[in-house]
Amino acid sequence: MKLSHFFRILRTIILFFICFTFKTYAVENIDERVKNLTLELRCMTCQNQSIYDSDAEFSNDIKKIVKLKFQEGKSEHDIKKFLVERYGEYILFRPLMNYNNIFLWVFPFILLIIGLFFIIIKTKGKKA
Amino acid sequence: MSSLIGFLSLALAIGINFYLLISRYVFKFQKQRFKFFVRVSSLLTLLSFFSLMYAYVTSDFSNYNVFQNSHSNKPLIYKISGTWGNHEGSMLLWLCILSIFSFFFSFTKNIEENFQKLTLIIQAFLHTLFSLFIVFTSNPFLVNSILVDEGLGLNPILQDPGLAVHPPILYAGYVGYSIVFSIAIAGLFQNTDNEWLYVAKKWSLISWTFLTGGIALGSYWAYYELGWGGWWFWDPVENISLMPWIAGLALVHSLMMVRGEQAIKKWIVFLSILCFSLSVFGTFLVRSGILTSVHSFAADASRGIFILLIFFIITGFGFLVFLLKEPKKSNTLNLLFINKVSALVINNILMIIATLTILLGTIYPIIIEVLYNKRISVGGPYFNSTVIPIMIPGFLLMSIAPILSWQTNKIKNSKKYVLGFIILSILVFIQSYLLDFNTWGFVGLLLGFWIVLASIIAIFSYYKVKLNLKYFKIINPHIAHIGVGIAIIGITCSSVFQNELDFNLNEGDKFKVNGKMVLFEEVETTNQINFQALRGKFLFDIEKNKSKKIEAGKNYYPVSKMITSEAGILHQWNKDIYFILGDQKNNEWFVKVLINPFVSFIWLGVIIMVYSGLIAVTRR
Repeated sequence: MKLSHFFRILRTIILFFICFTFKTYAVENIDERVKNLTLELRCMTCQNQSIYDSDAEFSNDIKKIVKLKFQEGKSEHDIKKFLVERYGEYILFRPLMNYNNIFLWVFPFILLIIGLFFIIIKTKGKKA
Repeated sequence: MSSLIGFLSLALAIGINFYLLISRYVFKFQKQRFKFFVRVSSLLTLLSFFSLMYAYVTSDFSNYNVFQNSHSNKPLIYKISGTWGNHEGSMLLWLCILSIFSFFFSFTKNIEENFQKLTLIIQAFLHTLFSLFIVFTSNPFLVNSILVDEGLGLNPILQDPGLAVHPPILYAGYVGYSIVFSIAIAGLFQNTDNEWLYVAKKWSLISWTFLTGGIALGSYWAYYELGWGGWWFWDPVENISLMPWIAGLALVHSLMMVRGEQAIKKWIVFLSILCFSLSVFGTFLVRSGILTSVHSFAADASRGIFILLIFFIITGFGFLVFLLKEPKKSNTLNLLFINKVSALVINNILMIIATLTILLGTIYPIIIEVLYNKRISVGGPYFNSTVIPIMIPGFLLMSIAPILSWQTNKIKNSKKYVLGFIILSILVFIQSYLLDFNTWGFVGLLLGFWIVLASIIAIFSYYKVKLNLKYFKIINPHIAHIGVGIAIIGITCSSVFQNELDFNLNEGDKFKVNGKMVLFEEVETTNQINFQALRGKFLFDIEKNKSKKIEAGKNYYPVSKMITSEAGILHQWNKDIYFILGDQKNNEWFVKVLINPFVSFIWLGVIIMVYSGLIAVTRR
């Protein structure tokens, strides 16, 4: 059997599983949402530590604020916006996808596409 | 006195290296003489380093550097490690390791004389650059202008056995790439046969192995000393060590292609220059202090410029030679979908993309700050959602890459692999469906187990089991990949399935962790030689006779007025239970317990990788 067959089977399996995973990936309670969000926020008074991991006073305050806002029914996006207005973009460990950061986000995938093309062009017409 | 000896021998070493540099044009040595001088200069640099160490051990506060960074009541091991626990000393360590590498390289046999000489001349050039940097901007031998009988003390966070050995090993990795760099440049100048590729392979494996060990020690230290419960934080300084590591991994793999007579010399030379450039660039970023990180204790902006200059000289020189003396066009590659050559090419492409992504993410905040005067953070979430997806095809490929053939795209026993993969996927799927389902957890576990399984299938279906060194050399690539697979399992479990429990406790309280009763005995303060220790004492699993004691707490270092946290970790083969003692409020202690499943697998995986790095050095 050729390897390309092997990869085809593998791809099918992976796609199959990904479909399944979306079904089970829905419900989250508030504590989990707080955790997921605060993991991506920088504790401004610590050295490169996330708010979730930190026990500094600053972090504990932010954790409370985030929890409160979630209980009020605000979305993650709203809370982030609120925090950025107050503390600046520095607080976000995951840089926003805006005009300034577009290069940051796109660059790796541009490289990936270039790499992919390189492989395809080099292997073309050489099938054994 | 020892400072004087140290400085003089350093100066003499600079003289000799400068002499070696111009010896080609001014005084021509016989070859034996040349090597003799290389060795003498190495020994002088070593002497210089040891005299600084001597000053530290004897707490000679007439040396300004010792005064600034040491204290007489430290334990001996931290007096020794204090030598490299500061900027000046660590740069001297850097130089020292550089000359140790030159020293050993001068003994390499079966290599062309002229080639070896040229490599050593380039090493002498690097030595001169860095030693001038030390003498002019960060001299560790300055005399203290006032008479004192006590020093200011070492940063307490560095007073730890793990961190005592972490810098030398990490530096051995970084600086080891200097030899690879020199070999590659010499290879460009002389453009001889392919023999130098084997030499380069050996040395790049040595550096890579050291770098792996160094990074692992560093993250193990972060795991138990920072007390955050994690071991990798995508901290800028961690990223900096990761870049030459990945680039070095790409280099090691592209050097494998020599064996199939498919080496792309141009690419190898490029990677060699890149690895060392990244090492020097990393030094610049750490030393200049433009990064916010747990390592910023070692920073000083004024020196940054000088290292930046060195970086530009080295990188500029390297890539200039690369452009001018381009290697002859090598044989065309036998790329098929998918054989060993194309697997290695894909591996290299992915690794370079990962390296460049990490580089961009690390320096992007600096760029934005310069351009827009705005501070942003690029942290873990960015790297997790770019670097990891990019690497996934590589992880899939590595499970079968070592058994692919150089010529064709057929693969023996492919049915076994397909069957193995299907069974494994179903098992992992059921497992993760029964527990909390998490996409990353599923992908990570599947990849990790698949790499291990496929490598084991390959080992048993391709080679006859023999218990001799040759056998272990042959299966070595598979072993290395098994190490990666095990590490992936550990990384996935400990990060995705980490469990956190918070308690507010009085002394004497009992609480439940993971189904076992834990007794919070008491909190105790004791005075140690150079710090005060606050320890919460826990008894784990009190219902059994063999209950285990765990101590978690904080240390207060009066000399530097700093507090460090000391996590209490109970190691079990399948999980670590990680106790953190928080603050006291209303007579209750805040206690955080983290259950980190399969952390030990990460270290096991690293140990396997280091082992196979060592085995690979002995293989041609």
